[in-house]
Amino acid sequence: MSSRSVQYTSSPLLASKTPIWRSQFIVACIALGFLGLVARAAYVQLIGNAFFKRQGTVRHVRTLDLPANRGRILDRNGHILASSVPVPSIWANPESIDRDPEKFKALAKLLEMTQAELEKKLSDEDKNFVWLKRQVDEPVAKNIEALKIKGIYARKEYKRIYPEGEAVAHVVGFTNVENIGQEGIEREFNKDLGGKPGSRRVIKDKFGQVVEDIGEIILPEDGRDLQLSIDSKAQYFAYEKIKEAVLSNRAKAGSVVVLHAQTGEVLAMTNYPSYVPDKRGNLVGEQIRNRVLTDTFEPGSVMKPFTIGLALNSGRVTPNSVIQTAPGSMVLTGTTIHDSHPHGALTVEQVIQVSSNVGTTKIAMQMQPQEMWKTFSQAGFGQKPPIAFPYLGSGRLKPHNTWRPIEQATMSYGYGLSASLFQMARSYTVFAHDGQIIPVTLLKSEDTVSGEQVFTANTASQVRKMLQMAAGPGGTGMKAQTMGYSVGGKSGTAYKQVGKTYGNDKNRKYRGWFVGMAPIDKPLIIVAVMLDEPSNGRYFGGDVAAPVFSEVVQQTLRMMRVQPDIAVKPMVVTQLEKESL
Amino acid sequence: MSRVSIILLAAVLLSALYLVRTQYESRALTTELDHATSEARRLEIENDRLDVERRAQATPKRVEKLAREQLHMRTITPAITHYATLPAQGANTAEAVRP
Repeated sequence: MSSRSVQYTSSPLLASKTPIWRSQFIVACIALGFLGLVARAAYVQLIGNAFFKRQGTVRHVRTLDLPANRGRILDRNGHILASSVPVPSIWANPESIDRDPEKFKALAKLLEMTQAELEKKLSDEDKNFVWLKRQVDEPVAKNIEALKIKGIYARKEYKRIYPEGEAVAHVVGFTNVENIGQEGIEREFNKDLGGKPGSRRVIKDKFGQVVEDIGEIILPEDGRDLQLSIDSKAQYFAYEKIKEAVLSNRAKAGSVVVLHAQTGEVLAMTNYPSYVPDKRGNLVGEQIRNRVLTDTFEPGSVMKPFTIGLALNSGRVTPNSVIQTAPGSMVLTGTTIHDSHPHGALTVEQVIQVSSNVGTTKIAMQMQPQEMWKTFSQAGFGQKPPIAFPYLGSGRLKPHNTWRPIEQATMSYGYGLSASLFQMARSYTVFAHDGQIIPVTLLKSEDTVSGEQVFTANTASQVRKMLQMAAGPGGTGMKAQTMGYSVGGKSGTAYKQVGKTYGNDKNRKYRGWFVGMAPIDKPLIIVAVMLDEPSNGRYFGGDVAAPVFSEVVQQTLRMMRVQPDIAVKPMVVTQLEKESL
Repeated sequence: MSRVSIILLAAVLLSALYLVRTQYESRALTTELDHATSEARRLEIENDRLDVERRAQATPKRVEKLAREQLHMRTITPAITHYATLPAQGANTAEAVRP
């Protein structure tokens, strides 16, 4: 050591006056502090790890629902018949609500309920969620927001919108407030339309923003869009016409169905009275029933072409065979069968034209019940129509081994069995589609289909000629004639049961209908029209239903761009001029 | 402590800091992506809503009402339709032409 070095510690001037234990104490405290931190870290990381992880999750991890869009329902041209849009729903937290009477009054008014009703909904203060009103209009939600009541909130929910309203209501149906199909296509295809909701787990920061995904994201599967065979223009037109007919005939209800005779597609299916499916208040009562498919009744004269068709097909008669129907009535096992007027000797064609019950019975009694039953069954009577739709009426057709002779006779002209208007329309594809009964569909499918052969093409053509005569001069359905297009069809009228009888002259109720096709040589459409309880003096199917048939045929064929097949006296006042290019 | 250890320690520290930064950036991007996805969904829904609204303005019911009341039009019939047949191969596709 050099002589210049100084031993500071030995200098009395620099000797610390504080005792050494103090510095040792401080060092010990700091060490202890560090030890504490290490112990805490060990506790957090090892012993209490699960607890802290859970707490972290509770504070920052959220599971987000990813809602699936319900598919849209479109018409054959892609126009929207049903679609979902988000609308506000109002909910409250009764636990934390601000109960200001003035504001409550305003709120109750906006929610269209009385103050007492509102108070009742909010009476349970233990709850922290209660719906006040679901699916309200946007302006209402805005006004409620403007009231700034603490504890009242809005949340977006999907609501189904039906832009075409009542004209298509019976086909499309509707959903409930939870978006589950309740009627019509919405019900039948609920699974396809509904889709599957997904979810994702995320970490949110203190601003509520998503900062990280945890685990796998389950993507939502949107519902499938459904394209129907319905043509919304034809549907609207049919609805307007049946509405007019129901109102002018003071009927209880009316229905129309239009089928494409080549593809089996349903082009229109409508009833009056109908309902607006967007308004929940309307969704109960008789008007929601799709009468075309649910209501069954005795088809009457509409059945005669099947009886005659079978006789022609089996070679028992020809269109020109003569049947004696004089004196306009006949007795069969003690029961008298009448014609509306005595007609004398008629050809088979004329039997259909003038709709003779006696003539039809005489032809039918040459056949076996089994043959007739087989033909009626093949034509779809007594079975649910093969179409994807809820609540289908199957009608009634007794097994042939239980038929008594009088039943065989009455069934040949359409009494003693029952069918829905839809079944009748479909059964006429036998005549329109060269003897085949074809499958029908409510979904768009433009290919020509083939079905089970019931009659030969020649028989079908012969019956079509008879149907044309029935809808022509001297026939029962003269009012079915339409400008420009050849038509054929059969009308029907029946007494409705009043209690256990058919009523008397004072309280008798009727049902009138018409089923036919056009153009008659190669039919493109089958139209069936029914009016329930017309009570304005006229009640025959040929008087009340045939005019609707005529108008629907003309407009539907025009919309399908079919050129008229019969000459029309033009009322064009100006001539078409050639356009210069 | 050897120089190698010091270099490694520095590398570990840098890497740790970089990790923190990357995580931060990733979270910021996730937030942005989430916003964009929500916006896309909102626009999709808005598009659906407008589609419905457009259809509601063009339903046959409304078109007929306007045609009858404002434009004084009437329902067309074959008698007031001039049918022009296209020549050659289009012979089957008759087109309805209004006079």
